[in-house]
Amino acid sequence: MTSIAEQHEVHAVQHGPPPPPRGWRRLLYPGLLRAAWMAPLFFGIGSGIVVLCRWWGSWHPIWFGEVIILVGALIAAPIGFLAGIGAFDYWVRYSIGAPTRPEDHSGHGAYSWRDYFRVNTDHKVIGIQYLTTTIFFFLAGGLLAMLVRAELAKPGMQFFDNQTYNGLFSVHASLMIFLFVIPAFAGIANFVVPLMLGAPDMAFPRLNALSYWLLPIAGIMMLSSFLVPGGAFASGWTGYAPLSVHQPLGTIFFNMGVQWAGASSIMTALNFLVTIITMRAPGMTFWRMPLLVWANFTTSLLVVIATPFIAGSQFFVMFDRIMHTHFFDTAAGGYPLGYQHIFWFYSHPAVYIMMLPGFGIASEVISAMSRKPIFGYRLMALSLMAILVLGFSVWAHHMFVSGMAPWLRVPMMITTLMIAVPTGIKVFSWLATIWEGKINFSTPMLWAVGFISMFVIGGLSGIYLGAVPIDIHVSDTYFVVAHIHYVLFGGSLFTIFAGIYYWFPKMTGRMYDERLGKLHFWLTFVGFNLTFFPMHLIGTQGMPRRVSDYAPTFAHWNLFISVASFALGASTIVFLYNMVTSMRRGPVAEANPWRSLTLEWQVSSPPPIFNFDEIPQVVGNPYEYGVPGARHAVLNGDRAATEVQPR
Amino acid sequence: MRRGSIVQLIVIGVLAGAVASAVALIPDWLPHSASREAGRIDFVFWFVTGICIFVFSIVAAVSVMAVWKFRAKPDDDSDCPPIHGHTGLEIAWTAVPALLVTAIAIVSAIVLAKDDAAGANPLRVDVFAQQFFWSYSYPGYGNKRSDVLRLPVNRSVVLRMTAKDVIHSFWVPEFRQKQDLVPGIHPTLHITPNKVGTYRLICTELCGLGHALMRSRVIVMQPDAFETWARKKGP
Repeated sequence: MTSIAEQHEVHAVQHGPPPPPRGWRRLLYPGLLRAAWMAPLFFGIGSGIVVLCRWWGSWHPIWFGEVIILVGALIAAPIGFLAGIGAFDYWVRYSIGAPTRPEDHSGHGAYSWRDYFRVNTDHKVIGIQYLTTTIFFFLAGGLLAMLVRAELAKPGMQFFDNQTYNGLFSVHASLMIFLFVIPAFAGIANFVVPLMLGAPDMAFPRLNALSYWLLPIAGIMMLSSFLVPGGAFASGWTGYAPLSVHQPLGTIFFNMGVQWAGASSIMTALNFLVTIITMRAPGMTFWRMPLLVWANFTTSLLVVIATPFIAGSQFFVMFDRIMHTHFFDTAAGGYPLGYQHIFWFYSHPAVYIMMLPGFGIASEVISAMSRKPIFGYRLMALSLMAILVLGFSVWAHHMFVSGMAPWLRVPMMITTLMIAVPTGIKVFSWLATIWEGKINFSTPMLWAVGFISMFVIGGLSGIYLGAVPIDIHVSDTYFVVAHIHYVLFGGSLFTIFAGIYYWFPKMTGRMYDERLGKLHFWLTFVGFNLTFFPMHLIGTQGMPRRVSDYAPTFAHWNLFISVASFALGASTIVFLYNMVTSMRRGPVAEANPWRSLTLEWQVSSPPPIFNFDEIPQVVGNPYEYGVPGARHAVLNGDRAATEVQPR
Repeated sequence: MRRGSIVQLIVIGVLAGAVASAVALIPDWLPHSASREAGRIDFVFWFVTGICIFVFSIVAAVSVMAVWKFRAKPDDDSDCPPIHGHTGLEIAWTAVPALLVTAIAIVSAIVLAKDDAAGANPLRVDVFAQQFFWSYSYPGYGNKRSDVLRLPVNRSVVLRMTAKDVIHSFWVPEFRQKQDLVPGIHPTLHITPNKVGTYRLICTELCGLGHALMRSRVIVMQPDAFETWARKKGP
């Protein structure tokens, strides 16, 4: 019998990556070089088709900039880029009958930094690609937020005109949501979930690579909308019709950017679902899965069910704009509230898409760092499912003042408030897990406990927003801005940081600097609260959101918030410095620095190229801290590494 | 759990509750109330605030205690006694929040029903919004037009909303009432002003370039002064 590792090694040797050719043939080799000429080529083809069609139909003008940008730059060029970088090579070869390499694992592993800039099918490499890309967009989105706060430091207009200001907060929110929080969780899960399941990779490694490469396309699209005439899309990340239909050109960059990012999430979610359902190691029943896996399972269900709705809503806006359809044009029988219903049918579940993976990370960190089993494991998993189901029945709570059918408000209020119950179960269970534990307050644990406290505040302000009469007063004010930042910053971002610090030794094989990690936490924690807590107050007192100018009564608080937000922004420098220096020169990490029981910690740091030398056998629950003799899994990695086995 | 730690837990809980109450009571969280609806909405606000302070105190007490008391000693590598759950506790923290949110839902639904009902002999006003200004018309007074919303005190008002281009939103913080104005549909809003004065009227739905400047004023007047103004020709 041969071990998996040996089998893979044989194939890697036999079918290893062909060395890049020299000379002009290098232009045909999959990679950024080929992408650099294929993207413009596809842009030309796309624009050519538009011009030909318009010429054939005698539509004037034949050269119509907006449609050429849409078809050529936002649809065809990205496809050319993907084809050039090699995302489709295998499928194209297969479909035209050219020889494929069915056991080709040449795309696995990273041996130099260049391997991160090519289509790589290794879930661990893709996880790192996801995380570095999303952190880049996190920084971009954060800088936009700093510009927003600079403008708001004083009443009146300081630095920007209104259109630019509206563009700043719209792109800030879109980047943070679509290019940071959602894919950052997908990145962590990409690295961790197959390891936790005892699987050698994701179920569809090529699809996994494709879903990653869609992301930079979406992000660059949204950022580059600042460069087009008329400026960036400026109707908020919600892009309500009919306003968004009549905005300058930048809007279609949002409409299409959402499509690429959405396609990426759907593909990843399908991949996670198939991986979790079919690739669990022997003995890994659903009730033995770590809660991070449960969280990504429920999140993926939310993604595949909900994401097509936002894709639809953005297509409708684009059709109204470019094809002169009338989805939201009341003069021709359109219905503007239709946009909001479709949009929120995705975007409310999206809140859980942005939170449930964080719940999973918090559960992993809290249990390992408290040296106690998760309190009420099954109820924790079931409450995830309850949030999933209830999450689809609450979308109209974003529309209590929208003018929708009034009878909808009370039922939607009831389902909204009911979500507090499974969420409360989770919070209380984490606290019970910490209770009487032996807590190691390392950096990931600080973020996880910080997350609980901030998320409780965000949850409680959510109760105010769920109660219709209060919501009528505070909806579209800074109270909402405060609430979403307590949930998405204090909630999602804190757990992303917890996850990054927790798995940093596993991902890089090196340890981060604990002192800098703690400094990063405390700066962020204090800066975050000073920035966002006062927003509750100015909101209830009467400051609307999404304004570049405001009444002088709010001047003091806004100056205070702006100064605090700059300190908050500066705390990110500590994080970046810690990550970069630790990755290069940090002390070498042990395989299991947290003495954790889940499977990813039972292999080396970083894990071997195919994760496990032999498929592990799962024999127990993942959080049996303190149970004498309990084991989660049995591995024979050591034997496989030392003994030469007969073929 | 020892008796000493229960006492400590309660002390921390009371302290957390006191801090939260101070945060709730010291700043002026809500603008002056100038309508009957505002009074009811404020009641819901303080009702929810009370429940939130209660929940916050419990969570704060438990987490502060945990962070303070249950640190691992530097050389202690052992695990804790494995506690996997406690059915009674789990039922309690499912049932109690369910009851609390049910109470909030009932109070909210009652207040909403009251706020939605117009009083006797309501004054009807048509509200028009377009990028980026407000205008008003009084159908009961020969469609008299105005750029400022003038209302009589202590009389129920039904505002019928019309948006001419994109979605706007009508909000007077002192009235606590808010309603989006959507092209193609005409939602209504009920307000019963009960304090004479001038208030800010704010557009709260992003409506384009001039959104931040789309403001207007509401002037609540004595009924006879309002009648005199409304019957006068011109603005």
